[in-house]
Amino acid sequence: MSEPSATAVVEVPRPAVVPPEPYTFPEGRRRTLDNGLEVVAYDVPGQYVHSVRVALPLPLARERRDIEGVATIMARSMDEGTARYSSAEFALLLERRGVALGTSISEAGLTVDIDVAKRHLGYALDLLRQVITEPAFPATEIDRHRKTRLAEIEQERAMPAQRGAIELIATYFDEAERASRPTAGSRETVRSITREDVVAFHADNVSPVGGTVVIAGDLDGVDAIAEIEAALGGWTPPPAPGSAASPWEAARVADTRERIVFIDRPGAVQTELAVACPGPDRSFPGGWSPYPVLGFMVGGSPNARVDAVLREEKGYTYGIRSVFRPRRRGGMFLTSGSVRADSTVEALGLLLDLLDGGREGFTDEEVRAGVDFVSMTAPGRYATADAIADEAASLSLEGLTTAFTTANLRDMVTLEADRLQAAYRAFVDGRWTIVVVGDAASHLEGIRALGRGDVTVVAG
Amino acid sequence: MADIAYPIVDRTLPNGLRVVVSEDHAVPTVTVNIWVNVGSRHEAPGRTGFAHLFEHLMFQGSRNVASGEHFSALMAQGGRLNATTWFDRTNYFETVPKGAFELALWLEADRHGHLLDALTQENLDNQRDVVKEEKRQRYDNVPYGTALIDVYATVFPPEHPYHHPTIGSMEDLDAASVEDVQAFFRRYYGPNNCVLTIVGDVTADDAFAAAETYFGPLPASAQPPAPVLHALEPLTEPVRLERLEAVPNDRLYLAFRLPPDNTDEFFACSLALDAIGGLSTSRLMHRLVRDEQVATGLSAHGMGFVDGVSLGLVSVDIAEGVDPEVIEATVCEELERFVAEGPTPIELESSMAETERGWLSSLASQDERADAICHYALLTGDIDYVNTFLERVGSVDAAAVQAAAARYLTPASRAVVAYRARPEEPELASEPEQQEQPEQPEQPEQPEQQEVQSA
Repeated sequence: MSEPSATAVVEVPRPAVVPPEPYTFPEGRRRTLDNGLEVVAYDVPGQYVHSVRVALPLPLARERRDIEGVATIMARSMDEGTARYSSAEFALLLERRGVALGTSISEAGLTVDIDVAKRHLGYALDLLRQVITEPAFPATEIDRHRKTRLAEIEQERAMPAQRGAIELIATYFDEAERASRPTAGSRETVRSITREDVVAFHADNVSPVGGTVVIAGDLDGVDAIAEIEAALGGWTPPPAPGSAASPWEAARVADTRERIVFIDRPGAVQTELAVACPGPDRSFPGGWSPYPVLGFMVGGSPNARVDAVLREEKGYTYGIRSVFRPRRRGGMFLTSGSVRADSTVEALGLLLDLLDGGREGFTDEEVRAGVDFVSMTAPGRYATADAIADEAASLSLEGLTTAFTTANLRDMVTLEADRLQAAYRAFVDGRWTIVVVGDAASHLEGIRALGRGDVTVVAG
Repeated sequence: MADIAYPIVDRTLPNGLRVVVSEDHAVPTVTVNIWVNVGSRHEAPGRTGFAHLFEHLMFQGSRNVASGEHFSALMAQGGRLNATTWFDRTNYFETVPKGAFELALWLEADRHGHLLDALTQENLDNQRDVVKEEKRQRYDNVPYGTALIDVYATVFPPEHPYHHPTIGSMEDLDAASVEDVQAFFRRYYGPNNCVLTIVGDVTADDAFAAAETYFGPLPASAQPPAPVLHALEPLTEPVRLERLEAVPNDRLYLAFRLPPDNTDEFFACSLALDAIGGLSTSRLMHRLVRDEQVATGLSAHGMGFVDGVSLGLVSVDIAEGVDPEVIEATVCEELERFVAEGPTPIELESSMAETERGWLSSLASQDERADAICHYALLTGDIDYVNTFLERVGSVDAAAVQAAAARYLTPASRAVVAYRARPEEPELASEPEQQEQPEQPEQPEQPEQQEVQSA
């Protein structure tokens, strides 16, 4: 069915590609302040919005079991007024200069972010200082954030992917581990959080010791390290910082993790699948560099192994993604996505076969494409101030600097099929934790018949 | 105000292709970005969702490119790519290491010129299935997933091009045929109905020359675009739609017909919506979320369209045990107060400061900047829009904001879509404040995702 109008056109030959130069992550300037804060400044010409990240290691296990989520409520309430300003006044101070301030809690720590137009940097850093060192935590605002989190928990339970994620960690991790429960807390624990809990958690755990401040942006004419020192250099550590000993151990997986949990959603038009097994962290002895490539080859694009079959051949899904997710210690290999309801059983069977099939290795062509994609996208992925600052801050919470990013990419380009196969086999052994969110009446028997593990059904 | 001066130049090829180039040598990559002047507003009755389905087929091969090869060939060179479809347009884009820049242009030219050589019933059937799963995943199988579809259908009349969503309906997707694909391509695709923008580590001369090499041979095959004819006045009395659904909390959407994008009146409406509910210091945020704590979430923003009307949207997540009618009355009261008082100087200052940072952030990356330049070059004709936008918004004064609110954002002109939680299923809920996202062929790529955020 050629197009008559086009046949007269002269064909233009396919152009050759010139390979790029090896990539190096931007170099930062570093200084350790007297109070223990490590400051890193990245000059990125042309980036007129400055990104500042304060990353403070804080093991989530420091939360008391009965008030889990207190770290998140604390983080979300830090900008709700300070020693000098009410919550509403402070919101106005941020917004009148367009200062975007955010906070987040992960398993490894607290991060406070600001993004601000270059000319307001000093102004924004003073607000940042107040948020970190003198938050007022008004009772009404704590109460509001508690209610908001409770509403959010209900919303998470209603979303198939998030409902599946909650069940996955509960099934995969040992129930004694903090990692088996949502980072931001559960209904019962969030209900119990008081203002006093939040104030005490901040006083006991938010400290400059071991923390890192990253700034990235166009620093022409800006002495960024001096500005950060002026803002945060006077922040003194609390009397008893970091009381918990040796907190960075890998969370133990459950003895019973090799099984299938079916979350029943009667009438669901799609089924959400999540399949997991252990994975490495970034300091894995065999190197981290194989794992982003493996994730890409298995489930990183429409042409990767999983979607080549489930999407492009079968049309069962909009897309299923595989990723090796490192934690500070240990990690997880996770594959997740949704499939058409009536394909549930076949799709899960195919998916597990495809995942297990990686143990037999990858072709040289797959390896070349995977290595080139992950390594050669780096310059573009790390081109902006916020991406550079995010990379540096998140690595700092794992005890690493961005020298890791460069070294990892250098190692990645040397990968061959043998090493990738060995890296895959180091973790993937066919023992999977599987969560299915869908209509049990239609698919439960079929899932059982796959013979891929004991099936437990829970209410949606 | 920040002084923005990205260098931007353009040239139009004899076949009608407008090529826009912005040099940026900070990083050794090049972004190729193409906006085609066709979106869901152009769809024929009974063929809703077609523009987006068509966009998926653009990845299934063309004269010299195998099915899936567009993705695989560019990704193997370190390319990041995708495409999206929305009411007014379809865009295709990739950011590649500069040595692969000409390959990207060659691949784009092949599919934009010769898609139909590779079109098969099998590809159409497969991508129809993929799009249906996209619809189920993003709309049908999530709480409030269909709320915005209800909003469009409630605020715009049935014959209007924005009445139906870009994702379309299952029935219409089923009805799409190979002949439809051929006719659509011949009518809308061709160098004379799109803009090609090239941003990055390439000189303007080299970029123009490469565009000529690869796109120059394509004929001006698209038919002339239909005129914009669908000017809509604001509603004169409220309309409403109530849904009883399996959602965790009640949510209200108040929608308004706004003037078209790229007008001072649209900018004024956006500033008004910021002050009313968009800012974290907005009037509704103060009253509903902070003071009275009767809402757990709030958003307000304008969605700019080209065809005679845009959309203004306020949405409120209602706290447990609170009567939605009381919330709606409060929102109406605040709208009336805003119309009577106009914005305060601090509200305008805050809205401008937020607009400035947001605009600068969106231009910070080469790929987003290319998309913004191409967007406005296609839909407004102005290649320099990204450099002048902040100045234009900044020139809108308080009186203009007040006048725009009085004309477009009155309680009488609201369309309300109310999602009420079905009492017997209190567990079920939704995602918080989902921003509208254009349809796209692929889930976003995250090659090395950080952080295990558990739930």
